[in-house]
Amino acid sequence: MKVRVRFFARFREAFGPELEVDAIKGETLLEIVRRAASSKRDGYSTLFEEDGRLKRFVIVMHNGSRVEHADAEQISVAEGDEIAVFPPVAGG
Amino acid sequence: MIGIQREDIDLGRMIERARVPEAGAIVVFDGIVRDDDIQEMELEAYREVALEELERIAEEARRRFSLAAVEIVHRIGRLKVGDNILAIVVSAAHRSEAYEGSRFIIEGIKAHVPIWKKELRRDGGRWVEGEANTMNGIES
Repeated sequence: MKVRVRFFARFREAFGPELEVDAIKGETLLEIVRRAASSKRDGYSTLFEEDGRLKRFVIVMHNGSRVEHADAEQISVAEGDEIAVFPPVAGG
Repeated sequence: MIGIQREDIDLGRMIERARVPEAGAIVVFDGIVRDDDIQEMELEAYREVALEELERIAEEARRRFSLAAVEIVHRIGRLKVGDNILAIVVSAAHRSEAYEGSRFIIEGIKAHVPIWKKELRRDGGRWVEGEANTMNGIES
């Protein structure tokens, strides 16, 4: 099943605006983000610590709603889902 | 009107829309590009979510401060020093609610709306760091 991963700001510069990932049934949000991050050289260390956790400042959204890192490890993706990954916001 | 757009902001029209019979005060906030030794600024948004957040913040402000009208327009794209970035126009029966409502909205935008700014300098670009807030990945 297809899942869309979108990146913004400096993560967009690192990974491109979006990637389509072919997800396996039962894969979690975090696993998809990990795969997307690994698609680029040095991409993994942009988003993840050496111990495999997401860096603290990385924000993850699932279909437009913010997801805590701990929940991203539990929530399974579904066909057509959109995951967004971005740094802290700085509008205004 | 709540919007995200590339084109410049028509402040006059926003003020006219906020000029409703029950209002006794209109407060205008106009955020502009400051000359921090930059050439230009590039803004980007997670548009769909940013619009939803702006609507949510506007509704919360209307309710909390009894605002008569709320107008918010945020720009994206490439802007130069002095250009409008964000305009917030609110009206209320009295000035205190209008001032407080306007302040609530700008602080809400800075904390919650997925928009980013990149300062473009002669020696390259630098993403503006988000302020310590609820969208900084630390608090929930």
